[in-house]
Amino acid sequence: MVERRVVITAGSAITPIGHGKANIVESLKNGVSGVKPLRRDDLLSAYIHSGVFGTVDYPVEYDFDRRFKKTMGPVAFYACQVVREVLAEAGLDPDFIGSGRLGVAFSSTHGSPTVQRGIYRQFFSGSSEEYSSVNAVDYLKSMVHTTAVNITKMFGITGRVIASSTACTTGSQSIGFGYETIKFGLQDAMVCGAADEYDTTTVAVFDNLLACSTAFNETPHLTPRPFEEKRDGLVVAEGAGALLLEEYEFARRRGAKILGEVIGFSCGNNGGDLILPNANGIKATLLTGLESAGIGPEDVDLISAHATGTKMGDVIEAQAMSKIYGDRPPVVALKSYMGHTMGACGAIEALMTLYMMEEGFIAPTLNLEKVDKRCAMIRHVAELIPDADIRIAAVQNFAFGGVNTCLFLKRFDG
Amino acid sequence: MPLSRESIIHDLNRIFKENFEIEDPDPDENLSQAYEFDSIDAIELLVEIEKILGFNLTQEEKKQAVEIRTINQICDYMEGLAEDRA
Repeated sequence: MVERRVVITAGSAITPIGHGKANIVESLKNGVSGVKPLRRDDLLSAYIHSGVFGTVDYPVEYDFDRRFKKTMGPVAFYACQVVREVLAEAGLDPDFIGSGRLGVAFSSTHGSPTVQRGIYRQFFSGSSEEYSSVNAVDYLKSMVHTTAVNITKMFGITGRVIASSTACTTGSQSIGFGYETIKFGLQDAMVCGAADEYDTTTVAVFDNLLACSTAFNETPHLTPRPFEEKRDGLVVAEGAGALLLEEYEFARRRGAKILGEVIGFSCGNNGGDLILPNANGIKATLLTGLESAGIGPEDVDLISAHATGTKMGDVIEAQAMSKIYGDRPPVVALKSYMGHTMGACGAIEALMTLYMMEEGFIAPTLNLEKVDKRCAMIRHVAELIPDADIRIAAVQNFAFGGVNTCLFLKRFDG
Repeated sequence: MPLSRESIIHDLNRIFKENFEIEDPDPDENLSQAYEFDSIDAIELLVEIEKILGFNLTQEEKKQAVEIRTINQICDYMEGLAEDRA
């Protein structure tokens, strides 16, 4: 089977540390945290021990027509906005967008929990009259592939739809499956990414598992603390990220600006416990990824770790990385800036890694005052590296259910 | 007391403005062609029609709405329903 090169030609993200490349790079270089106090809601916030959330606290201007908005919950607004920016940046021929050769790989953890909450409220209201008030579009707003299909509708995309929803590996799978779809000739380009909206039910799940940060409720910017001695759990966050992947020759012929290349992807499962991290499962995924990229560990110049800031997860990931990479490549935990954007984290972190490659810097892991000795066997980045030469980077993500992914990105040097 | 044509049009204009961002549609305008009013909107409108009429529609009554295209046709439909239930 002929394997085609796959390049990245556009990207955008809405994150707790900024919207778009310029804002995000500025925050990464200046150590800006996007973690804020958990917003109050009428459902769960009063019962949750964790009082922090990676928050998009700036206005996002949506200029969408009614015919698009009517099937969108908050998560689809995020998704369609970042994709609109990606398509504007890419400048694809309108005929190509509707040709069937452009597909979408996009999803989220839940669809829209905000809309789902409204449906449940009506169902459990105790009134039979309320049944008929469930809006006809509630399903379209809340279904798990709501982001992907709202994107196809808004932009007239007629190719493949992949809406893989695997919690924290949703975004990395979108990029990985989009990459493979182009690599093996099934599409010429794919809009890839993921989004998740503000939601306290997700916080409650991790809170009940004792996996959420609770010790820094009065100083949100000091958490999460991946790999750090005083880390006490993850911080749930919201956001969206999208990238346009294209087959290299197709992008070159149309004169697209090439930002980087996807050279490898792996996805495996621990085959066992659905919650606990598993060093062997992670190691197997990292090795398969290296093989997929056709490189060795010595070729990797930067690793974006999944590193959520949980007690056990960070140790297991550090151990797995150490076995394969030793203590050579710098490791950054991007969640230290914004918390865990759930389904979106793979897309957002891949994009941030691309930004660091393009701009030649490595952002330090925030709040890394004293590395936990059980995580000390890898090369942490505690200070900004302003002049980094990053040719190849790995982006690691792991999810509930035991799903592990690894993407390999390469700088495009022409 | 039966619904007047004027009050039905008044209510419909309010619903079209609030729910569908359509301002004072011409009573004989094809809503689908003029405003991209689609099947999703039609289902939502049926819920609003039930509120105006004050009773729930049967599945058969809802199916009768499939061919409706204009405000005047919606008025005819609602008047017919109100008369049948009177």
